[in-house]
Amino acid sequence: MAEMRNEVTEEPAGSGLIDAQAPEEIDSEAYRIVDRYVSEQPGGQEQLIPLLHRVQEYLGYLPFPVQEYVAGKLGLSPVEVYAVVSFYHFFTTTPRGRYQLKVCMGTACFVNNAQTICDVLGDLSGIELGGVTEDRLFSLEQVRCIGACGLAPALMVNDEAHGHLTPITVRKIFRKLKSAARKEKNSAGGEADSENKH
Amino acid sequence: MKTNTESSPAAVRPLGREAMAAIRECVRPVIEERLVTRRGVAPLRREVLVCHGGACISCRAVPVADLMEAAIDQAGLADQARVVRVGCMGLCDAGPLVLVSPDGVYYPRVNEDLAGRIVKEHLSSGAVIEEEELSWEGPDGEMLRSREVPFFARQMKIALRNCGVIDPGSLEEYIAADGYAALEKVLFEMAPDQVLTELKRAGLRGRGGAGFPVGLKWQFVHDTQGDVKYVVCNADEGDPGAFMDRSILEGDPYSVVEAMTIAGRVVGSNQGYVYVRAEYPLAIERLDASLNSARSSGLLGKDILGSGFDFDLEIRIGAGAFVCGEETALMNSIEGKRGMPRPRPPFPAQKGLWKRPTLLNNVESWANISPILLRGAKWYSSIGTERSKGTKVFALAGAIRNTGLVEVPMGISLREVVEDLGGGIRSGRPFKAAQSGGPSGGCVPAAAADVAVDYESLQELGAIMGSGGLIVMDETTCMVELARFFMEFIVDESCGKCPPCRIGNRVMLSILERITKGEGQEDDLGLLERLGEHIQLSSLCGLGQTGPNPVLSTLRHFREEYETHVRERRCPAGQCRALLTYTIIEDLCNGCHVCAKACPVDAIGGEIKNVHLIDQEVCTHCGACLTACPTGAIEGK
Ligand SMILES: Cc1cc2nc3c(=O)[nH]c(=O)nc-3n(C[C@H](O)[C@H](O)[C@H](O)COP(=O)(O)O)c2cc1C
Ligand code: FES
Repeated sequence: MAEMRNEVTEEPAGSGLIDAQAPEEIDSEAYRIVDRYVSEQPGGQEQLIPLLHRVQEYLGYLPFPVQEYVAGKLGLSPVEVYAVVSFYHFFTTTPRGRYQLKVCMGTACFVNNAQTICDVLGDLSGIELGGVTEDRLFSLEQVRCIGACGLAPALMVNDEAHGHLTPITVRKIFRKLKSAARKEKNSAGGEADSENKH
Repeated sequence: MKTNTESSPAAVRPLGREAMAAIRECVRPVIEERLVTRRGVAPLRREVLVCHGGACISCRAVPVADLMEAAIDQAGLADQARVVRVGCMGLCDAGPLVLVSPDGVYYPRVNEDLAGRIVKEHLSSGAVIEEEELSWEGPDGEMLRSREVPFFARQMKIALRNCGVIDPGSLEEYIAADGYAALEKVLFEMAPDQVLTELKRAGLRGRGGAGFPVGLKWQFVHDTQGDVKYVVCNADEGDPGAFMDRSILEGDPYSVVEAMTIAGRVVGSNQGYVYVRAEYPLAIERLDASLNSARSSGLLGKDILGSGFDFDLEIRIGAGAFVCGEETALMNSIEGKRGMPRPRPPFPAQKGLWKRPTLLNNVESWANISPILLRGAKWYSSIGTERSKGTKVFALAGAIRNTGLVEVPMGISLREVVEDLGGGIRSGRPFKAAQSGGPSGGCVPAAAADVAVDYESLQELGAIMGSGGLIVMDETTCMVELARFFMEFIVDESCGKCPPCRIGNRVMLSILERITKGEGQEDDLGLLERLGEHIQLSSLCGLGQTGPNPVLSTLRHFREEYETHVRERRCPAGQCRALLTYTIIEDLCNGCHVCAKACPVDAIGGEIKNVHLIDQEVCTHCGACLTACPTGAIEGK
């Protein structure tokens, strides 16, 4: 939350904020999702969070132009939308990786040495917490309790939980993902997808 | 999730009261069979209950259940046995957990192999696979099996009555288990005043943490004038390491839906919201399914059961902010705003959601409502202690053997919960402390573990009942580091509105950081205490007011541990990495090279099959080698 708040003070609110974002191609389906939602669900501000969930579910993140579009559709100012996006941890303005590595830092995982797991992953991927690898393959973040406390320390890779981790097993998982991604790239088809489910 | 009654007519046609009575008559015996333990008599039919709680699903419960279904068909047993997918059975550590009824046999950690054997041996011929049955040694060396083990035997289930017993996707099974009987009573037999009196007499207190009497809160909302009122369920469950509310929503969503409908009738509201955290997709999915079938069965919507009463519910999904569990912040979030708390008064009962009178309760509080109205205040208030009535659900996690969910009567000692139900510490090391109430709570040291679990006794010790997350720790957890962990959480989650919380907690964090790095100063401990007390007194909402609790309570019970960090620059628990020196014990090192591979900075050298050595100059004290070593040859001191 903290870095976000700095961003707001550095950049004046309004369109300056939006220009600051590097031009990025945005899937136009995102705009259609907004249109459809607004025509189905009457109401203004109270529809904002559900709508942002919808868009992020599709795009994986909330780019500024889309936020501005949402604001227009709901009759809000862009900064009102940005204020909400920056407040909630779940919403993100940076794209995530193909594999989102989410290390649980809930209390149960914490007392079972989750920090080490996080360190090992940071080391392997070469990125900081909250970062994405340049090839957009991996992003690394800490999350609060994924509800698998019995498996502590635990890690979510996208929607799949892995538990009882040690530095050795996380290394294995990481390597598997990497080779799965490589295969996927080579075959450039969807077949490899099933192989990273293990 | 697959349900057993997907095509059940009950789920698509509006139900009348007679239809519900018929369901109860036909299906209740089936549900009751799941609660008995009857061996040695061949039953007509068997049911295989496969836990589909979140934890078991992540241990592959779904494929195991699929496999059993297929195997039952293949073996031609379809008319003698069937698989039922139920919610959390509680013993998450043993997942996937399977119960064969009516024999009352639990099988823990069922993989594909064992699943096949259960069908082949147990279901076909009735022979219990004894070596795989859940069993523990009792206190006198006797073998306790399945329901006899203390984890199950010592529980008393009210809020969790249906969790792990019925298929959460089946409205029919919920109705058969006395579901919606309380709503019928409220719609057709009791006046709102009678309901309020009953709840107040029962003595149920809010299970979300603060313990405010539920009946009184309902009364306030009932008494406030207003043509539009709202009913809200708080399912934000922000305490990391707690999963009671999630399990109730996943395992018995209708219990919450029914209770909220009852409240709507009593306080005069026609619209409710359930605010669920986004991290609980399965709970959201099952709740959504239950709303849809309640609606199509005429149990939500217009003219419920022909009573003329209208009520509907909507789900609102959180977006990852701990402070949104605080009731006024939660309401801002439902309104689509930043989840900042509002000053109180006005209380939500006067001006809540969109400034309308609002009744807000926690998931577990809701789950207690129907049993109280069905069985009466007298029954409920006979359970528990003088001022804490009924039962409490705890989520046991941490260093404990039986990670999972338990529901126990108030007044039981914490030691019984940890040692008897929880099976004690997994590693066999001594029990050091238990932390309740998460980032707002405090710890109970092992020496004080005979404390009774009730709101007042825990408070006296500087801990709180909290929402029910109970993290158990052995001596490898450093209490200073634990306090730092929670303080980091609070700083990260502070909404920034009021200075004591925004700035004060950050200052406390930086003091804790320097202590765990071995840079603590002699007067740091006094400073932490003074700061903590000021922040408690001057913060706007509960987040700030309770944020210093973990620090103050560890300071109270484990002061020597802080002093050792400050004066001797040492961490007795061996957790503060910057304070440890890592060495390899020559006798234990087998030269497997795993530590060297695990080391992120290449500080470890040595030939394979020869003793390795750590270069202390390069070592960053991260401890990766310690966890990696398969022979325990690395020691951090
Ligand atoms: C910072 C903070 C976080 C809270 N988080 C939760 C929560 O996750 N779930 C919950 O039920 N109550 C939470 N509460 C308590 C609620 O404000 C409120 O008291 C409670 O939900 C009322 O329901 P009850 O009376 O049924 O317990 C929190 C309070 C504070 C101050
Ligand atoms: S603390 Fe990690 S899953 Fe709960």
